[in-house]
Parts: sequence; structure tokens; C-alpha cells
Amino acid sequence: MSADGIPPFANEPTLELRRAQDREALTAALARLDAGLPLEIPVLIGGDRGSADGIESTDPGDPNRLVARAGVGTEADVDAAVAVAAEAAREWGERTAAERAEVLGRAAALMRERRLGLAALAVRECAKPWGEADADVCEAIDFIEYYRRDALALEAGADLIQVQGERNRMRYAPRGVVGVISPWNFPLAIPTGMVAAGLAAGNAVVFKPAEQSPGCGGAIVDALHEAGVPRGALALVPGYGEAGAALVRHPGVHVIAFTGSAAVGQEVIATAAQTAPGQQHVKRVVAEMGGKNCVIVDADADLDDAVPGIVKSAFAYAGQKCSACSRVIAHEAVAEGLGKRLAGAVEVLSVGQAERFGTDVPPLIEREAQERVRRYGETAAGEGRVLARAQGPPGDGWFCDALVVTGLEPGSRVLTEEIFGPLVAVEAVPDLDAACAVVESLPFALTGGLFSRNPRAVEEVARRLPVGNLYINRATTGAMVGRQPFGGNRLSGVGSKAGGPGYLVQFAEPRVVSEDTMRHGLVVE
Amino acid sequence: MSVGSTSSIDLDRVEAEIAIVGRALEPKRGGAGRGPLRAVDERAMKLASSDRELRAALFRLVDVTPACRSLDDLGRHLAAFLDEVPERPSSLRAAMRASHSKAGRVALGAATTAGVRHMAHRFIVGDSPADARSELTKMWRHGLAASLDLLGEATVTAVEADRYGDRCIEALDQLTATAREWSEHPALERDAIGPIPRANLSVKISALTPRLHPEAPEVGFADAAERLRPILRRARELEAHLHIDMEELDALETTLELVLGLLAEDEFAAGPSAGLVLQAYLCESPAQLDRILAWAGAGQRRHPLVVRLVKGAYWDREVAEADQHGWTAPVFTDKRECDRNFEVLTRRLLDARPDVRVAVGSHNLRSVAHAIAYNRAGGGDDRDLELQTLRGLGDELAAQLAAQGFRVRVYCPVGDLVAGMAYLVRRLLENTANESFLLAQSEGTPLEELLAPP
Repeated sequence: MSADGIPPFANEPTLELRRAQDREALTAALARLDAGLPLEIPVLIGGDRGSADGIESTDPGDPNRLVARAGVGTEADVDAAVAVAAEAAREWGERTAAERAEVLGRAAALMRERRLGLAALAVRECAKPWGEADADVCEAIDFIEYYRRDALALEAGADLIQVQGERNRMRYAPRGVVGVISPWNFPLAIPTGMVAAGLAAGNAVVFKPAEQSPGCGGAIVDALHEAGVPRGALALVPGYGEAGAALVRHPGVHVIAFTGSAAVGQEVIATAAQTAPGQQHVKRVVAEMGGKNCVIVDADADLDDAVPGIVKSAFAYAGQKCSACSRVIAHEAVAEGLGKRLAGAVEVLSVGQAERFGTDVPPLIEREAQERVRRYGETAAGEGRVLARAQGPPGDGWFCDALVVTGLEPGSRVLTEEIFGPLVAVEAVPDLDAACAVVESLPFALTGGLFSRNPRAVEEVARRLPVGNLYINRATTGAMVGRQPFGGNRLSGVGSKAGGPGYLVQFAEPRVVSEDTMRHGLVVE
Repeated sequence: MSVGSTSSIDLDRVEAEIAIVGRALEPKRGGAGRGPLRAVDERAMKLASSDRELRAALFRLVDVTPACRSLDDLGRHLAAFLDEVPERPSSLRAAMRASHSKAGRVALGAATTAGVRHMAHRFIVGDSPADARSELTKMWRHGLAASLDLLGEATVTAVEADRYGDRCIEALDQLTATAREWSEHPALERDAIGPIPRANLSVKISALTPRLHPEAPEVGFADAAERLRPILRRARELEAHLHIDMEELDALETTLELVLGLLAEDEFAAGPSAGLVLQAYLCESPAQLDRILAWAGAGQRRHPLVVRLVKGAYWDREVAEADQHGWTAPVFTDKRECDRNFEVLTRRLLDARPDVRVAVGSHNLRSVAHAIAYNRAGGGDDRDLELQTLRGLGDELAAQLAAQGFRVRVYCPVGDLVAGMAYLVRRLLENTANESFLLAQSEGTPLEELLAPP
């Protein structure tokens, strides 16, 4: 226990899905959830419940099933929410970090209590397979637990050099109002992380969840409000891009925490850089964007590890993770053997419903995604060669075949654009140097992987690759709070590391106070 | 529920007997025999046991050896591993100097290959079942039965699973043909229950399917069953024994369901003789034994199920995986607790005969002596208990047991160097671990201590 009575951070244990009782508990939770669908997710500002009409989130595996009905946040809603938040931020920001940490701790406890239902919701609304859904709940809890502890350290301030007759202090104040714009692919963890960071640092938050996952967004806000976060200090504004844009533009917003595509992210940064008349601050943008992640397989790699590692990296959650691998760059000595084994491993993947235990590749999030990924698949098949295809089941879900392709020209769109689907391309290179050069040539730099058993090769690749998270001899996905602080460089993000040291400070404003302690030629301290 | 057994065997008498059995089995110290650590380069292993970084470097080198493209490449790897060892003994400093030239690296690579091959051949009986023929025959003459284990790369594709299934069937054919030539050895071929097959093959479920899902045992079950049934059929036709190995906990449910499920199918009621493994390091192993015994007691099979009791070979992995997920470790983390459980399970199994046949697989002198003593105290004949050892590690113990007329079966992996590496590294790591019984024995721990109740 620390002095504040909060035990040191530890990752929330995932469920043990290899045990039948854990699986049965989840299945029962899904049945309970289904009985209460659809959820109603209104615009929530300062305790006022607005409309819950306009957005319909559906089950990607069965689009006829309505999961949530949510309001469509307007510019007027955003204005109202920011105004209420600015007011509430004062009181919330004046509380001590310990007081805020206590409230957030209660929210984490509530989510822990509700973990089965939350996982079921991620399964239904976003087609997260059970293991991924449970991990999403755990990561959400982890973010709260991590940032609430970090907030205590932040309040203690930073150490400065002290000399005779002078007292220097550096402390951190809340910035004010944080706008959170979150994606659907980690529908609980990512928004909870951004919202919790804003709140822990003493800001008020206006939160716009992805239109595909308002149900999950609502569940997060419920837990935080019930735990004691003042209604005014956390607004929920479900909506489409317009609501997000209004939030980014709003002169009353101090920090924008965004996770999503590179295109939207750059728009957010550009818009936020403009200062409206009367606006007295420069907005801070914390952005996590896309990736085009490569796994390098060296000549001495253990393919017994590399193949399952790549399969997991590329196909878990149908490749809809910003950390997912979409290019495998193999040393020519092993490329053919690797391609063959990888193809065989993908052929036995089961594409199916997320709720079915044993599904490897769930449906994509929505029709547009299915169409987009299919187009990339057709392009890849036309330009190169399909090594393996795991077919999706018939039915109405947004299923998409899992593909391994090879023989693409270096400039192929399949090799340069973020696909966000179950498609991986294999290429051969003459050596490790050429492999690094490929990765260095990409504008993205989020995750990277290397399978090698030579410590010098590991050092060399770690030194050269610009990626934010490099994984050696393991999958490139599944970053854990506190263990693998996560975030990309280059066009993949602004370099912040969620779930790591240095993240929370982006939501605070540093202030230095220097005091002369000499009186009448004497040091008075 | 009473732990241990319902029988009225006096455990004090068992303790007295353990001392007698233990003394009789005590290895001759300083002998030139193929002791567990003499089996590999003794100096290298001693060094490895004493220095963590060196141990890591050595094992990573062994692990990568077959994947290196040339001797120069292997020499480079060696140098890279040694880089990470802060305090290098003088012999290794010389190796580092040699690694600066290509000729030096090639020489180092050649020495490494020779060393690794040498080690591998102690543990691996041949490249293929055909290759293993003469060695198996020689062992049989010396009173040692065998269970063959086919090493291979991990199964990640359906083709690989099919190939492993085919190899199993070929191995059964080969083994049976080989065993037919052997002269009679009553101690190895019969117990109070009846005849015991000479040909004995161990198979791994993880090699029979690329679709093992810890969270969906039914998926791996369905896929593996398609390949396991033909193997069971061939074993039945050939009257060979098929033993299903137990691996990580992630595969346990699938494996147990498969063995108990398929053997209960009508077509296998008359055979083959088959078995499974109980891992005493699992905290839930007593409950698993309940399930196995309930099944065995209710069954109508001609051959009783053979239960091989082992400590378990995936301790590190289970502990690390639990740590990474925030789970309570599924294995005993206290060695003595694990050893005690081993003995409790031994007694329960021996008491459960003739519903099951019992094979105790251990190199721990105390565990082995305990099984023998308990069997004797209950009035059992020595050959109503099978003792199993691992090729290359338990050779001395196996020879001692065979000399005294026990039924000993040696677990004999076959496969090439590439395929065998994972097995080899696991065996080496296991036996240089601080708590290794073999290490304690080789370091001269007194017999009384080795035989003390856990």
C-alpha cells in the first residue's frame, strides 16, 4: 500500500476462458443482455437526458438485431455540453487528486462488477470475440486504475533544482475541458482510457463515442456517473462526424483526445490549430491514428512461433486493430516455407460469429468495412497471388474472407494503405537490412514485429525501426497498460503513449513558481 | 473425501520399505556410467547451472543451432549470445576472440554443431522409427521396454496434422514389426491383469490438430478425433499400445475429452490398450483423477486404461502464463507440496487397480521408491507397477530398475535435429533448474535426504 492507501497498479486479471464455468458465465450474461435490447443512449448533458433517437447500432453478425438506439448530437448539443463542462470543471478541478482518484476507483470497481455484461455488450455491438471482449473490459479498468494513481504523482509536481535563497516549484493544473472522440474497435478500453485521463487530471470531459458503438459508450458514462463523477463534468454526446467536428472546433475545448483514422486525425490536428476569436488558449491534441504494421521474419526465426504469432497479429478481431499486422517481410531463406505454413494456418481459421467460442475471425464492423476490405482483396488477387483464403459463413453478417496474398508490386495500394481487415501480404527480402528499409519507407510507424533469435539482429532492428511499439518473437497486438505503453510515431500518432508514464501530463498544464526566500539579506526558509 | 486411499496399508511400513528400495537403487557415485548429467557435456551443464546468464546463452544457442544457415552463421549467433554474458569464463573469452574472424567463427560453429548433435543423440533415439530399431532391440535385451514419441515441428496446418497422423500409423507398423523379432521377456509383457503390448507409441494431441482452442475444447476435439480414430484402429489391429501425452493446461480439456470420449466408443471396446497422463504438478490433478477413475470404473473396455503419473513438464510456462494474465498459478509452486501430491496420487492409482494400470514416470528416487514400496506393502507383485524414465536423463535409474526385475519403460523420442530441438531444450532446462532432483543427486546430496518424505 502506498501512503494514499491505494495498492500499486496491477493489470486486471482476464477471465480464464479455458475453464467452462467462465465461459458459461459469459454466455449467460449475453442472454441477459439480449433480453434487454435495444439499449437507449440519450445525449446526456449535466444530468439532462436528451434525445435517444437517430442512431441505431446493430449486431455486425446479425444486422437485423438492434443493439442500441442513440441520440444524434448536434452542434447545439456540443455547445451546451462544453458550457456545462466548463462550469463543472472548476469544482472537479479543485478537488484533490486523491479525492478524484477515489471516485475513479469506484468507477473501476463498478466496471469490475459489471464485467460480464460489459464483455457481452462488446460482443454484441462490435462483434468482439469473447477473449477480446473480456480483454477490452480489463484494459478499460486498467486505464482507470493506472491514471488515477498517476494523477497523485502529477499533483506532487516535478523536482527542480534548488539553490540558496530561492524556492522553485513545478506543479500541474487541469487544462479545462477535454473533448474525447473515440473509435469502435476497442469500444470500452480506448474511450475509457481517454475519458479517465481527462478526469484524473482534473478536467471535465465531453465524450463522443463512435456511432457504431454508442451502447458501449453509454455503459462507460453510466459507471463513471454512478461512481460520483459530477454529471456536469462528464457529458455524453453520441453522434456522427458532425458532432466530433463541432467538438474539435469549439473554442471552449482545451484538449482533444482522438483515436481513429489518419485522415480524420490530421483534420482534427489542423482544425484544432486554428484559434477562434476570443479563444485564449492553443488546443492540445492527443491523437492515435492508423498503422501499416509489418512483421519481419529473419532467417533464423522459429517458424513454430512466427506462424501463430503472425496469425494472431493479422487476424484476431478480423484485423480491425490499429496494431494489427498487414505485411510480413520475410528473409528469402525462409519466405517460401513461411508462406506455405502461414497459408495452411489461415486455411483452418474459423470465420464466424463472435459469440461462438472458437471463432478466429468475426464479422467486420459494418457493411462499408466489408465492401472496402473485399475491394482490397480483389485488388490483391488481381495484382498478386492468393496463398490462402478462409471463407466466411453465409448469412447477413458483415463477414469477410481471411486472405494471405503474395507477389505484390512494391507500390501496390495493398502494401501501403491501411486496410483494417483480415488480409495479410507476404514479401521476401534478401536480408534484414532490406526488411528494415521497407518499414522505414512507410509513413506510418505504429507497431512492428520481429521474429529472430539473434540478439544482435534484435538490437539492430530496434535501433532502426521508427515504430512506437516493437514486438520481438511475439504477436504485435495486445498491449497491456503499464507493461506496453501504446502509441505510434510519424503519421500514426503524436507520439503519446497510452497506459504509460507521460500520458497523463498531456491533460495538464505545467506551472512553475519561483520564490525569492531572502529577507534583509538572510535566507528565510 | 479421504485424501490418499481407502486401503489399510500402514504408511510407516511403507516408509521403512522406501529406505530399503532406495538404498538398492542408489546410483554408484563417481562411476563412469551414463549418469543424468554425464549424459551431456558435464562441464557445460555445471557451468550453466551456476550462472543464469550463461545458462540462457547456452540454451538459446542450442535452440537456434538447426536454424542457422552455415557454420559462420552459427558462429555469429554464438558470439552474439556470449555478448550478453557479463562475466565470461576464460574458455568463453577465447571463443569471443575467435569469433572475430570468419575462420574462427566457422570453427566455433563446427564445435557447437558437434556439441549439440552429441547432446541431441543422448536424448533422441534416432531420426526415425526405422532408425531406432537396433537401439530399441538392444534396450529390450537389457530389460527395457520403450514408448516411442515422434518429435516434429509444431502443427499449425491441416497438412502437418495429417502428416503426423500418418507418421503415427507408420510408426505403429514399424514398431510392431520390430517387436515381433524380440525374444520373450515375461517381466515386460505381462502383469496380474494380463498381457501387455510390446509396441508402445506416445502421441500428442497438439500435433494432431492445428485447431486447439483453450476456450473451445470441442473444436480441437472434433478436428483431432478424425485423425486419432484411424491411429486407434491401427493400434487395435496390431495389438499395440497407444498412449496420449498430456501437454499444457490449455490443451488438457481437449485431450482428456478425446481419450475418455473415443475410448468409450463401441468400436474401441475391445482395444487397443491405451493410456493417458496425469500431471501431479497441477493443483487440480486430484479432481482429474476422480474423473478418470469414475470413467475407468464404469467402463466395459477389455484393456484397463493405463495412467502414467508424472510431475509435468510445462511448469515454467504455466507459471509465466498465469503471471501474464493475472491468474493464480494452476501448478504447485512449492516443490514439496508437489512431491506430496505425487505420492498421494500414486497411492490412489495403485489402489484403483485393476480398473487402471499404473505407470509412474519419475527420476526422483523418493517418488519411485515410494511407488514400489507402497505396491509391495499392499501385497502387489513388482511387475504390477510400471516405472517410466526419459531416454538420456533416467538411463542409470532405468538400468538399476531393470537389473532388479522391475518393468521399466523408457520414453524414447525420435526425430531429426530440427524437430528435436524444442524437446532437447526443455529437457536441458528442466534438469539444470535449481530444484532438479537429478542435479541434487549429481551434486552428492546424501541418500537419506533424497529419500526423506516430502
